[in-house]
Amino acid sequence: MNATRAEGEHSLNKHREVSTLPSADCYVASGAMQTTTDPADRGLPTWARSILVFALIYFFLVGVSLLEKGINVMGQDTQESLFSSVDNPIAGLFIGILGTVLVQSSSASTSVIVGLVASGALGVESAVPMVMGANIGTTVTNTLVSLGSMRQSAEFRRAFAAATVHDFFNLLAVAILLPLELTTGALSRVAESISNQLVGSAGSEWKSPVKKWVKEPVGWLKDIYEGLGLETNVLGTVLVITGLIIILAALTFITKNMRELVADRVERSLNAMLGAGGGTIAMLLGLVITVAVQSSSITTSIMIPLAAAGVVTLPNIYPVTLGANVGTTITALLAALAASRPEALTVGLVHTLFNVSAILIIYPYKPIREIPIRLAEGLADLAVQRHLVVVVYVVGLFIIVPLIGVAILR
Amino acid sequence: MVMSFFRRGETGIDAIANRTVSMLGDARHSFDLASAAVLSGADPEAVGADVRDTDERINRAEQEMRGELVVHAAVHGTENIAVVMSYTLLIKKIERIGDQAKNILDLADEGISLAGEPDIDTLLEHRRTISAMMSEVADLLVDPEEERVTDFRERADVLRRELENQIRGYMHSEEPGSFAVPRAILYRYWKRIVANLAGVITSVTEPLQHQGYLDEGETDIADD
Repeated sequence: MNATRAEGEHSLNKHREVSTLPSADCYVASGAMQTTTDPADRGLPTWARSILVFALIYFFLVGVSLLEKGINVMGQDTQESLFSSVDNPIAGLFIGILGTVLVQSSSASTSVIVGLVASGALGVESAVPMVMGANIGTTVTNTLVSLGSMRQSAEFRRAFAAATVHDFFNLLAVAILLPLELTTGALSRVAESISNQLVGSAGSEWKSPVKKWVKEPVGWLKDIYEGLGLETNVLGTVLVITGLIIILAALTFITKNMRELVADRVERSLNAMLGAGGGTIAMLLGLVITVAVQSSSITTSIMIPLAAAGVVTLPNIYPVTLGANVGTTITALLAALAASRPEALTVGLVHTLFNVSAILIIYPYKPIREIPIRLAEGLADLAVQRHLVVVVYVVGLFIIVPLIGVAILR
Repeated sequence: MVMSFFRRGETGIDAIANRTVSMLGDARHSFDLASAAVLSGADPEAVGADVRDTDERINRAEQEMRGELVVHAAVHGTENIAVVMSYTLLIKKIERIGDQAKNILDLADEGISLAGEPDIDTLLEHRRTISAMMSEVADLLVDPEEERVTDFRERADVLRRELENQIRGYMHSEEPGSFAVPRAILYRYWKRIVANLAGVITSVTEPLQHQGYLDEGETDIADD
């Protein structure tokens, strides 16, 4: 028996020593299991993709600066008529939801808000509810992803609950923090104080070093449009539209390329999470992944199939989505680097503070922490019984209610 | 967990491929021990705990790898979906080999010992061949060279038919049940192990829709 056991252990050890793996190449050679796990195999080599990402970030900042310039070129009357509707904070909240649902990215919508604040057309007070709305609007993406599991009740229940726990957390956060902000201005005051320390007081001009780098292409584009005979409001509108297109395109490609660059790292860290469970570490993981891919929707949407398959539980996904909420605020802060007013940075910081405060208020105390989980599970149960609930929920929360709200309150 | 994001390391599929080799090592270990209990007179109780622990380790590895395959698909989208599906089938086959080793141990637990029997040399020869095949499959997973794969599949097919003939022989044998039944059962487990080993190789080399089937259209775990 000892001989047999020794033989068995020999084989075991022999195979455990094997560190040269069935790599992509050998599978390709066999013509069957072809993998594309090496980022270099997915088109661009890593170094080239990294340079491309930096270039795209530059274009993104040019886009934000163009937006600011475009608004500035428009007349004062036009600016006032454009943004008077967001003086009502609830209307601002709904516009934030609608805008984000439209572009499917809170990074994009908050960057636009930062650009508008940088132009001076939008005040910090008006921008804060819009940023909170963006936080709600961004959750629509993973909710839509969860609909892919609709045919399998058990899978769908898990996927839909995993998606909507993010919705309910963000709704609860707004329900707590928006009234607090409206009555005390707590978030914007703290953000303004930090902003003052970093770049100067509100109303002054911040000589951002990044602004200098992006100034030239903005000037070239303005000259080209002026050369075409455009002026005042038309010129401003064209600059704004160009800025929006550049912001959206740059963010889309940044996210796409960063996803390619860090996919293996994301996979490795998620595998580590499967073994270790949720909690604060999972929250940090959600933050790190989101900062890396510049999109909370990517992070949260990756978690949906894992929830659907039952690989990750709802309590384990929950902290990842909260980390993603904080991670996504990096884009607005980045956008503020291209702004010429300290208020732009204040709004970016409000976005970060809002998400961090929401975690600090809701997450530590178990009965409050579990409210979004219970609501998500309850809604998922209903959704499994009647699919119409899903349609009413998604269309109602993300489109109908905000539209009616804006129509009434503007 | 968070630091794993910043560290360099194996990519998802590479890590999974490495673990399949390790799983095969575990399956071979279980098979050798369980076979020793039936063929070499080893105390079933003495080896039982090790076989069961190893089987649990194989099962746990399979479950973890399933999760990792879902993570891979979620992160990479559909680009590696065929590989993900192939590995899902492959690790199931290795897990079955672990179960079948445990089934062989069950024979020993029932008091079956073929040590010292007149056909022991033939039985031990089969055990050695199958055990060596497990090692060969692990090597082929690392380096699936076409000629070696074809050669392995042909030998596995010959052995599977030979084991099947033995089972048929015992089904119609004039020998008493206490002689024929344990051998028929043992040969059946061996046949299924060989079929699963062939299936593991098929998972690496054949297109997805052909996997799990033999050339004649039978499944590779067919009991006949």
